[in-house]
Amino acid sequence: MRLAITFSNRVLSIFLLTIFLGNAVHAQTLTKKQQDSAFLLHPGQERIRKIKKSLAKTFVNFTSNDLSLYGSLNLSKQKINDNGITAPINYLYNNVNSNTYEAGFSGSFRIDGIYKEKHHYSFSFGINRITAGNYYQNIHSLSPFIDDFTLFKADNAFTTINIAAHYKKLLPVGDMNKYKFYAVIGPSIDYKISNISNENLINGAGNRAIMNADFGAEFDNKGYYVLFAHYKYGVNMKSSSVPIQLNRFEMGMGMKLNDLF
Amino acid sequence: MIYSKTLIKMKQLYTPIVAFLLLIQFSCNKETSNTQIEVMNNLLTNKNWYLDYSITEDLTSTTPVVYKTYVGQSTYIITYLKNGTTKDSDGLSGSYTVELVRNQSQIHVQVKTTNGNPLEVIYNIISVGANNLVLSKLVSGPTTRLYFTTK
Repeated sequence: MRLAITFSNRVLSIFLLTIFLGNAVHAQTLTKKQQDSAFLLHPGQERIRKIKKSLAKTFVNFTSNDLSLYGSLNLSKQKINDNGITAPINYLYNNVNSNTYEAGFSGSFRIDGIYKEKHHYSFSFGINRITAGNYYQNIHSLSPFIDDFTLFKADNAFTTINIAAHYKKLLPVGDMNKYKFYAVIGPSIDYKISNISNENLINGAGNRAIMNADFGAEFDNKGYYVLFAHYKYGVNMKSSSVPIQLNRFEMGMGMKLNDLF
Repeated sequence: MIYSKTLIKMKQLYTPIVAFLLLIQFSCNKETSNTQIEVMNNLLTNKNWYLDYSITEDLTSTTPVVYKTYVGQSTYIITYLKNGTTKDSDGLSGSYTVELVRNQSQIHVQVKTTNGNPLEVIYNIISVGANNLVLSKLVSGPTTRLYFTTK
């Protein structure tokens, strides 16, 4: 029995060694195609190099840029004013009004850097899955038999892409060589990329773009990771028959791409 | 020379921003003329609507309002099916369409009476929801409001 186990272990070891050596030899040998490619001009790569050079010249004052991946939890609630709706449609108030913050999530990447070696900033591009609680400001009734309804039913689950530019003010808190605390402020834009329901389009109420004012705080632990908490106050970017305020709390964490990969 | 370089840099910087703002401007609203009708049709169809109350107004100066309740009684029932046909408890059947006429939502019902004569009835939709429907019969004279529920 023991002999059989020893034999099978030896076979396995030889097999693994063969694979390893095979890979090592293969890694050192360039194929004919790769050899030819090394001497050829690559218009695509050349173009990317030029764009990088051009961007470096354009953004000469934006230094110490770190690319990070981030993920966050969102708590969202939207405040809806349906007074502009004329369509004769009703939704029972208690069925559509939750008046709570509901959870969603976000993720993507951000760039943190310093402008003119003085002002800290961050640019982020993210994708959000928002699930929002709804608070309807107006309650309608059709006396004498139908009480408490709304004229509009807002979509409460949707996906957006988000672009944000934040100014970060370093706060003199604790040992600033180790830990950095920032106060954050800046604008951001959300754009709905998920389908908008027909109920949301009635009387020109549909609106894909949301303009946000962001406030918050960030904690940088020796550059290993960043913890952040942001509040976003959003309104429709274009005038709508149903103005909606989207209030969001975003709590998450970012890690430098270099540390991750 | 410096001026033209700055101009090129500004172009590089602002072109994507302007493109993004234009995208937002032109894709905010996609409502079509049928949106409202589709939503109302979805709320209206494939349900039995039971007449619970009727209110007739402006009859005479002595009896301005006649209020009738059918709750707990044998009552009028109408069904609007998704295929555009309708059937009621009086035995009338035919077709219907939901239309938007001069910003007023209406149900146009074409039925044949028991004698085989065609009859068109038009109702103004006062309000339609998942479980309740208020119609106003469009006839000359006193206005009658019909309050339906799905039970």
